[in-house]
Amino acid sequence: MTSPDHTGDFEQMVLLAVLRLDNEAYALDVLSELDARAGRRVTRGTLYKTLDRLDAKGLIDWQVEEAGPERGGHPRRRFRVTREGVRVLKTSRAALFRMWEGLEAKLGRSPS
Amino acid sequence: VKRATPPRWLESLLARCLPRDVRGRSILGDLHEAVGERYAAGDVRAPLWYFWHAIRIAVRYAPANLFRYSALEGTRMIGLAQDARYALRTIRRDLRFFLFAALIIGLGIGANTAVFSVMSPLVLRPLPFADSERLVWVALGTSGGMSSVTSRTSNLRDFRSMSQSFEALTGYYAFFEYSSYNLVGDGQPERLVGVDVAQDFLDVLRVRPMLGRNFTVEEGNWGGPSVAILTHAFWARRFAADPSIVGSSITLNNQPTEVIGVLPPSFDFASTFTPGSRVDFLRPFPISDETDRQGNTLAIIGRLEPGSTVEGAQAELDDINRRLQAEQPGRWGLGAVVSGLQEQIAGRFRSAMVVLAAAAAAVMLIACANLSNLLLARGPKRQKEMAVRSALGANRHRLVRQLLIESLLLALCGGLIGVFIAFAATRAVAGTSAISIPMLHAVSIDATALWFTLGVSVLAGLLLGIIPALQMSEGGEAAVIRESSRRAGESKRHTRLREVLVVAEMALACVLVVSGGLLLRSFMSVLDVDLGFQPAGTMSWRVDTSRNFESLTAANVFYDQLVANVQAVPGVEAVGLTDTMPLGRNREWGLRAKGVFYEEGQAPTFFPRMVDWRYLEAMRIPLLAGRYLNAYDIGESSPVLIINQAAAERLFPEQDAIGQIVFINGDQEWQVVGVVGNVRHQSLEEASGLEGYLPISQMGDWGALDMVVRSSVPPATLVQNVRAALRATDPTMPTGEFQTLNAVVDRAVSPRRFMLLLLGAFAATALLLAALGIYGVLSYSVTQRTAEIGIRMALGETEARVLGRVMGRTMALASVGVGIGALGSVVAARLIGSLLFGVRPTDALTFSAVMSILLLVSALAGFLPARRAARTDPMVALQSS
Repeated sequence: MTSPDHTGDFEQMVLLAVLRLDNEAYALDVLSELDARAGRRVTRGTLYKTLDRLDAKGLIDWQVEEAGPERGGHPRRRFRVTREGVRVLKTSRAALFRMWEGLEAKLGRSPS
Repeated sequence: VKRATPPRWLESLLARCLPRDVRGRSILGDLHEAVGERYAAGDVRAPLWYFWHAIRIAVRYAPANLFRYSALEGTRMIGLAQDARYALRTIRRDLRFFLFAALIIGLGIGANTAVFSVMSPLVLRPLPFADSERLVWVALGTSGGMSSVTSRTSNLRDFRSMSQSFEALTGYYAFFEYSSYNLVGDGQPERLVGVDVAQDFLDVLRVRPMLGRNFTVEEGNWGGPSVAILTHAFWARRFAADPSIVGSSITLNNQPTEVIGVLPPSFDFASTFTPGSRVDFLRPFPISDETDRQGNTLAIIGRLEPGSTVEGAQAELDDINRRLQAEQPGRWGLGAVVSGLQEQIAGRFRSAMVVLAAAAAAVMLIACANLSNLLLARGPKRQKEMAVRSALGANRHRLVRQLLIESLLLALCGGLIGVFIAFAATRAVAGTSAISIPMLHAVSIDATALWFTLGVSVLAGLLLGIIPALQMSEGGEAAVIRESSRRAGESKRHTRLREVLVVAEMALACVLVVSGGLLLRSFMSVLDVDLGFQPAGTMSWRVDTSRNFESLTAANVFYDQLVANVQAVPGVEAVGLTDTMPLGRNREWGLRAKGVFYEEGQAPTFFPRMVDWRYLEAMRIPLLAGRYLNAYDIGESSPVLIINQAAAERLFPEQDAIGQIVFINGDQEWQVVGVVGNVRHQSLEEASGLEGYLPISQMGDWGALDMVVRSSVPPATLVQNVRAALRATDPTMPTGEFQTLNAVVDRAVSPRRFMLLLLGAFAATALLLAALGIYGVLSYSVTQRTAEIGIRMALGETEARVLGRVMGRTMALASVGVGIGALGSVVAARLIGSLLFGVRPTDALTFSAVMSILLLVSALAGFLPARRAARTDPMVALQSS
């Protein structure tokens, strides 16, 4: 299994999306956030599998909310990034910055 | 929107694939919520959306969860899933055996699927027309050539107006292959085949042009605008499927013709009505007095009113014909025989198809018996495992189920292989135009065929698995205890079981090989038939000029020049012209000897052929009396003809036919100047009827000509030079249509060859499998009895005696199988009697040859284990036991 310090590109995106949603993320919102911000359209199956994986690595956790008839009586999960998840994000951001440094001449300035 | 929740069954199915905890349930909830929003927004595709996403999620989660016991808890599936996983493990352990076995069963299944697919459009599926069961064929009579089954257009007109049983009646001009159209324009000049159809032809069949429109009433009138609807294949080939062709004009025989439509690919006229031929376009055929004068020309097709029956329609048409005859005593050519269109098209191939299906089923049974045997041979190995399982609490039912699941998996894997085999086979069949069997173009592996394959695979799995499963599972724990003892009685019983299976295989193989042998003999007798002409070294060209000749003389001059040019090509020995090549079309005209009175309906008919004076010699049709035609039999001289032997005997029994006068279709006198040998003109199997040869130089009544060229040079060189000679005569003449006469003969025997090849392949497979079976059984029993053989040899039995005993056993098994098979073959041969030609169903030569082959093959199969037994080293054998 991947070491928790290194996450895949898509896993990182999911973590960031959950964070962006103020740690109050429902799966459906994560899906639209990914689409809106990153232009990543993924299937639900892929998203759920990724969430399971992040959960197993301890990078996110979730709380159960009982839900009403609009969900057919099925519960709802609210995801948030764990402290460990935040640490991993920071580590990989630092690593990325180091890798990017000095490449502006070759790659141009970032659009923002 | 009626319901705002996803389909319950789908949700519970999805739930089975998901983890059984809150994770899975929250996923269900998410989907539920999302689809609810879609329902609320009034999206009618909401259920589809749910289905699609449920599938995508299920695919991700199923591998981990579907076979988890938690997912199946409380269902009866749990044991089954265990068994399936256990079976997969067993298979993995012995993958090579599994693949070999799957290949064998795959051959059997492939044969069945292929035959099913060929049969399907012809026999099982309705014709590709809407409400096709109401379509009927209205023939003039039941026997004879095409002129005896086609009708005058006045019949169609009167049936249309007088009958109540039909929703509509239509027809097509059945002699369309006599006429021909030259397409001149972009690219090479090309000869096209067009069918003239009644204006409402497509409407009655409920076929809509894919592009453009159908014929209008005005276009269906005599002298109406010249229009054509292209067949899909021709449109795709010649015009690269260009939709803008509709509405444009093409030049056919120097006449501008408007393309008004394109037929859909699903309607292939030639493949449906005239298999083995080609049709490029449809044109309207007027149902008028002008076309009525052409005589019997129309193939009538009707659509019955809902609720009408073939019998009712028949009775009504009989009545109408009686009334018409009473009102118009001088009217000729009235008659109607109604039959289902499907029956008309597919009927004569049905028995052949049933035979093929039976043969494929037999191959399948042999393959099953073979695999049963292989599995039985593995019995002792597995029996220990079974005993352990049963000691651990599995009951026999569970063990049998376990083993059956294994054989089912085997058969399903075989089914997969079978689909590939069948796919390749049907691709080959559907792509050929050399076989004149209807609806072949529609042959494919479709959903029905796949369901069929699945069904056959399951059946095969049960069939091949049940005997080994029952045998291996018996005994239970006791088997372990008795493992050390030799279980002599049991072992003997199992050997007997396996021998019975081998005998059955041998018997079935014998039936198949005998049937194949009889068909082979029939095929050879057909090829041996005296054709009456010599096809070898002869080629034929379609020669159609777009010119309109002012007079018969002008036409004669043109064709004489053409023949002279071709004659000058190096290596050409003889050239002749005819409007009817052998083994293709047919027609009938009346023929009466002068001075003879014929009873009503008793007047003879003959098959007329328009030929030039060189044709008979070019074809090497032998002259029996009188003279051949010559260059002086032209328009101005008195009309002459040559008749065949059959016509001479019928018209002038015990007289000299030469110099006699006959009437053809009327009152003009024709003088018989020669008698030639009979020619097989309709098919190789049918004896010749009455035939006559009329000089084209005297008779202008022909549509298009074929030129036969006899030469000593190879076809490739000849083709180049002859084409050049034709172009020199007429630069716009299409020259692309030529064939050897041997190819014509080949096409005529193609259904028979098709049948023979398929049945031959089945028989060969059967023989191979049966030989494998014999080998397997003996090889196994030799291995089992190594110790016994060792003791015998230690006590002084010679190698020859050991060899002799094993071979004796082999031949005993083979003989019993072949004996039973021979009896079965007598029955089978009677069933295929209608397919035989020139050979009796009980042909002694075929039977004895086949039985010898089977015994010989068995001997070979038994020899290998026998030799191994004879070479047993007593010391080694005794030590190993």
